[in-house]
Amino acid sequence: MNIYRLATRRGRAALGATLTVMALLLGAGSASAAVMPAALHQGLAPAAVGAVAPAAASDAKGKTFAIATDTTFAPFEFRNGSGDLVGIDMDLLRAIADNQGFKVDIKSLGFDAALQALQSNQVQGVIAGMSITDKRKLIFDFSNPYFDSGVQMAVAKSNDAIKTYADLKGKTVAVKRGSEGETFANSIKDKYGFTVKALADSATMYDDVKAGNSVAVFDDYPVLAYGVSQNNGLKIVTPKEQGSSYGFAVNKGQNADLLAAFDAGLANLKASGQYQKILDKYLAAPETAKQTSFFELLANSFPALMKGLGMTLLATALSLIIALVLGIVFGFLKVSESRVLRIIASIYVEIFRGTPLLVQAFFFYFGLPQLTGRPLDVLTAGVITLSLNAGAYMTEIVRGGIQSVDPGQLEASRSLGLGYVTSMRRVVVPQAVKIMTPSFINQFVITLKDTSLLAVIGFAELTYQGQQIYASNFRTGETLLIVAALYFIVIFILTQLSNALDRKFNK
Amino acid sequence: MTATPAAAGAKISVRNLKKSFGSNEVLKGLEVDIAEGEVVCVIGPSGSGKSTFLRCLNKLEDITGGTVTVDGYDLTDPKVDLNAVRQHIGMVFQHFNLFPHMSVIQNIMLAPVELKKLDRAGARAKGMELLKRVGLSEKADARPASLSGGQKQRVAIARALAMNPGIMLFDEATSALDPEMVGEVLQVIRDLAAEGMTMVVVTHEMGFAREVADRVIFMDAGVICEEGTPEAIFGNAQQPRLQDFLAKVL
Ligand SMILES: Nc1ncnc2c1ncn2[C@@H]1O[C@H](COP(=O)(O)OP(=O)(O)OP(=O)(O)O)[C@@H](O)[C@H]1O
Ligand SMILES: [Mg+2]
Repeated sequence: MNIYRLATRRGRAALGATLTVMALLLGAGSASAAVMPAALHQGLAPAAVGAVAPAAASDAKGKTFAIATDTTFAPFEFRNGSGDLVGIDMDLLRAIADNQGFKVDIKSLGFDAALQALQSNQVQGVIAGMSITDKRKLIFDFSNPYFDSGVQMAVAKSNDAIKTYADLKGKTVAVKRGSEGETFANSIKDKYGFTVKALADSATMYDDVKAGNSVAVFDDYPVLAYGVSQNNGLKIVTPKEQGSSYGFAVNKGQNADLLAAFDAGLANLKASGQYQKILDKYLAAPETAKQTSFFELLANSFPALMKGLGMTLLATALSLIIALVLGIVFGFLKVSESRVLRIIASIYVEIFRGTPLLVQAFFFYFGLPQLTGRPLDVLTAGVITLSLNAGAYMTEIVRGGIQSVDPGQLEASRSLGLGYVTSMRRVVVPQAVKIMTPSFINQFVITLKDTSLLAVIGFAELTYQGQQIYASNFRTGETLLIVAALYFIVIFILTQLSNALDRKFNK
Repeated sequence: MTATPAAAGAKISVRNLKKSFGSNEVLKGLEVDIAEGEVVCVIGPSGSGKSTFLRCLNKLEDITGGTVTVDGYDLTDPKVDLNAVRQHIGMVFQHFNLFPHMSVIQNIMLAPVELKKLDRAGARAKGMELLKRVGLSEKADARPASLSGGQKQRVAIARALAMNPGIMLFDEATSALDPEMVGEVLQVIRDLAAEGMTMVVVTHEMGFAREVADRVIFMDAGVICEEGTPEAIFGNAQQPRLQDFLAKVL
């Protein structure tokens, strides 16, 4: 059956492609190709692309694409109360995928990280409220614009002093790194004499204004409007500037099928009125959220935070097991007779102790796939990073533990005729373990806390979940308190447990 | 395993033994033969190389030059199974070096059990017998930390005897002890001597050396400066360096 289809489609690629386009125009989601397995389908792609350009659209059908997005850029992407990723971008993307019969695996990474993930082929596309600029067009191919934006200025609710750009003289304003707001602010900062401070996300920006570090923010109007409706503590004071357009991006020259499907789907949604419905849902009358109590916040955020905590514990456990093995292997190399082995172990330790964990995480998630061409999922990359990093410290703990055992112990054992391995196993190691246990517990706590750094590569652990929550409700302080308390409680329980085990077994 | 013929009747045979730590030559060509059943005491000033010499006899130190032959095995031959040779040589250290995470009886049983010389029950029986010999039967299940210095050293001797060695090496076995405990340890060594054990005893106890030694070796600056019977060494010293040394310690 499949072979038959393959043969006929190969033979009549042009006809097949044309039929598919017609089917799309008619809104029929299930053209014949839809029932074909993805593998066969990919095999057909070159023929189809070669035939008629729009035919590529049909080739997205049935495939699954990894699409990266920002962590939170409400109302384009953010998590709702139940922890699901929603927003204009998300609703649009899902509707288009539905319309075109492909699947999306959305990865919420953060804006910078999303672009890096695209460049390193970790994902096939990015939708993140991204403006189409000439500079970006050099490395990405963009879809037709799906949203026209524009920049506005907002200040703290209580601030009546700043109403126009002229009032900004000598002041600092916050912008989101890489955003239209930043471009606009930089274009007028000399004229009005203010300083621009670039921050990573909207919530941080608003907090900066509320904390008084900067007096105003420049941001895209839908973002500001949505934030204000969610009680972010700001008010909008200027009219919308002529702005740019947002587009969906793929790597230049790649995934033409996906891009074509996006454009085709967008056109369909606009025609059917569904596009306007999605926009209205987030922009026309965003229902004003009422401020909930701390305990409601706690209850609402609990499921998402528990999910995050689970990931934190999983990454910690996996990393520590691997780190322990690495630590034992390299620790023994470090006390071995062989100079070469000692040097190998030292190089390992120096590299991972001598570079920041964050750089290592970026390297394994973004850098390595670019070098090898093999993408790593975020848990794998995170666990590799933490294992190698903690392994370096474990190596030093093991080395220190072994060396702190009186050399006379090994000599006494060897003088009895016991071999090196037996002597280590029966005499030196049991004493070293006792010495090492407190350092192991310490490293365990450090690694658990270090998992929070993996939030930057979009690993959905506890800190990341916390960021997601305050990014959409703008209650940074309270959310972080809850997150910190969770870390504290878990670490407290686990250290007490470890110490009890230590006392029991290392008497 | 290669066996080089030792000097006739010699249990231990040392030829032109040299040992350096980096550029510091600590042993400068020692020649010693020790017969089966002989008790040799080694005396000399601090830093003269006594411990280093002793540690070369079971190759706890790498040997820089010359040969050491024990029971017919040439220790400098890389093919020699050192672990097998060491089972024939018991060693007792100045600081006891008991294994603190094991009980007294476990310390003694470790080698026989690990080396599969005895099963656990057999090793325990043997261990108890040795403890009885050093007068510590009641301490079998105690931890080393709970023992006095003299008791620790007696356990260490029992541990060294667990593999039925033909040779015992003592490196200042009593110099870390309080004076009132020296006697009990010396008594155990004295008993071993009486049983005909071949022994090399590095000691600062001149009275003891005079009493148990068949021969006394005086070392100074990495060489054997003078050797002979206790009477000759302590009663009729020839070398001025030995005379100086004895004048200081006696
Ligand atoms: N592991 C080592 N590394 C470097 N030098 C060493 C080492 N062991 C011993 N030495 C040196 O070798 C020399 C002889 O030391 P050794 O311990 O054999 O002397 P000793 O006669 O036993 O002295 P003491 O009566 O103080 O025990 C000393 O100068 C000592 O510093
Ligand atoms: Mg010494």
